[in-house]
Amino acid sequence: MIILALDALDLNLIQKYDCRNLKQTEYGQTDISEFSEPRTVVLWASFLTGKNMEAKIPLKTQWKFKLDPEETFLKFFKPFKAIDVPSFSFKQESHAEERKLLKKYFNNKGTIEEYDAAVWKYHEENKKEFFNSIGKFDLVMGYFNLADAIGHLSFGISEKMRAIYADLEKIAKEVKGSDDFILVISDHGMKAIGRYGDHTRNGFYSANRKLGLKIPKITDFYNLMRQR
Amino acid sequence: MDNYLVDLEKKSISMLREAKAQFKKLAVLWSTGKDSTTSLWLCKKAFYGKIPFPVIHIDTGYKFPQIYEFRDKIVKEWDLDLIIAQNKEALKKGMSPKKGRLECCTLLKTEALKDLLRKEKFDALILSIRRDEHGIRAKERYYSPRDEEFKWDYTDQPAELWDLYVKPSEDFSHMRVHPILHWTEVDVWQYVKQEKLPINPMYFAKNGKRYRSLGCMPCTVPVPSKASTIDEIVQELETTTTPERAGRSQDKEKAYMMQKLRALGYM
Repeated sequence: MIILALDALDLNLIQKYDCRNLKQTEYGQTDISEFSEPRTVVLWASFLTGKNMEAKIPLKTQWKFKLDPEETFLKFFKPFKAIDVPSFSFKQESHAEERKLLKKYFNNKGTIEEYDAAVWKYHEENKKEFFNSIGKFDLVMGYFNLADAIGHLSFGISEKMRAIYADLEKIAKEVKGSDDFILVISDHGMKAIGRYGDHTRNGFYSANRKLGLKIPKITDFYNLMRQR
Repeated sequence: MDNYLVDLEKKSISMLREAKAQFKKLAVLWSTGKDSTTSLWLCKKAFYGKIPFPVIHIDTGYKFPQIYEFRDKIVKEWDLDLIIAQNKEALKKGMSPKKGRLECCTLLKTEALKDLLRKEKFDALILSIRRDEHGIRAKERYYSPRDEEFKWDYTDQPAELWDLYVKPSEDFSHMRVHPILHWTEVDVWQYVKQEKLPINPMYFAKNGKRYRSLGCMPCTVPVPSKASTIDEIVQELETTTTPERAGRSQDKEKAYMMQKLRALGYM
């Protein structure tokens, strides 16, 4: 099984840029309206455990929050590989540089360009690890924060978003040939606030098989994984 | 007069006269900057020398001394009915940009204006925004309805075909009227020159820097420039790639995003 966990992947942009490989056979939006804020760590933890984890993950320490594999559907897959997944295998050190550059920009000491460059660099590293893992594990879950991290500062710049969606579409195209069950999932979508981007309350999912889901909750996928 | 400027002026003046006829209680917002001073001048021209409604200045208490000086001079010379909107309570409690730019702007600008609107019950406000200032402003209409919370739904706006500015029948708290929406920054400067309008001297370069947009002292910085006359400013604008509001660090969207990222735990 392959899970492409794409932070802030938004159905509207998938349609706009005609990303057919990201849409696969069945696709749609997910409903995350039960959460008071569309927080990335909370949503991925809820996806992995099948439970609303909002109350259990304090805002201030959320990026350090770590689930035990036994609490997640990953326990049904042996061996599994989860790359950079928030609340499970998030690479604190790699993302520290991003955070530093984000603060620098808001303090008027840095530029969006240097921030973008750092985000793309980690994205390429994760991609390499993701493709190297395919075929070696029962389940490979690759998390990519490109659309979210760059979208927050540049969602209104269509050239940048087009390039990001083109790259994510390329990843989806490369895994497409696999016989595995492939799930593409996002935690939330994104909307423009001028040139910036803010989380929306709708995520995205797609599968390479017919699942017959109708606006599922992000917690609904736990049972699906268990059945697989 | 340059034909192009005549056309711009005509459209703005007819819009102002239309607004005066359509709304019961109208007022014009004036920051003392080049755009709103241009609008004031257009109001003077539209109503034959005397502006027949109040002029609102939002005083955050953090403006440059030159702004107050310029404001008081023009009020006297143009015989304006000036209303100063100020959130005294927030200032008393020590609100300043140090406590957060978004909170500061919200309390000292937006809330000050909301309070005044509640008190004075204006049903329309003339604002001097331009489409070329910012991407989000490009989506504006000449007539733009707002609810009590000042919310603006850009996906649901009245159509403005054939220069007809229709007051929507739906309930709205007040209407924003944008008479210079179709002007560009260069148009404004050309017009200022042609009409010999008084202008705040901070717009002209001193020691290699000038203010391109005027705001509050802690949140506005000058941009590098050698333009010390209107002609030099126009020449500079024709070649620059720097956005007009580059010196306005309180840019609301940026402040919103910074706070949102904090709220989501990114920063």
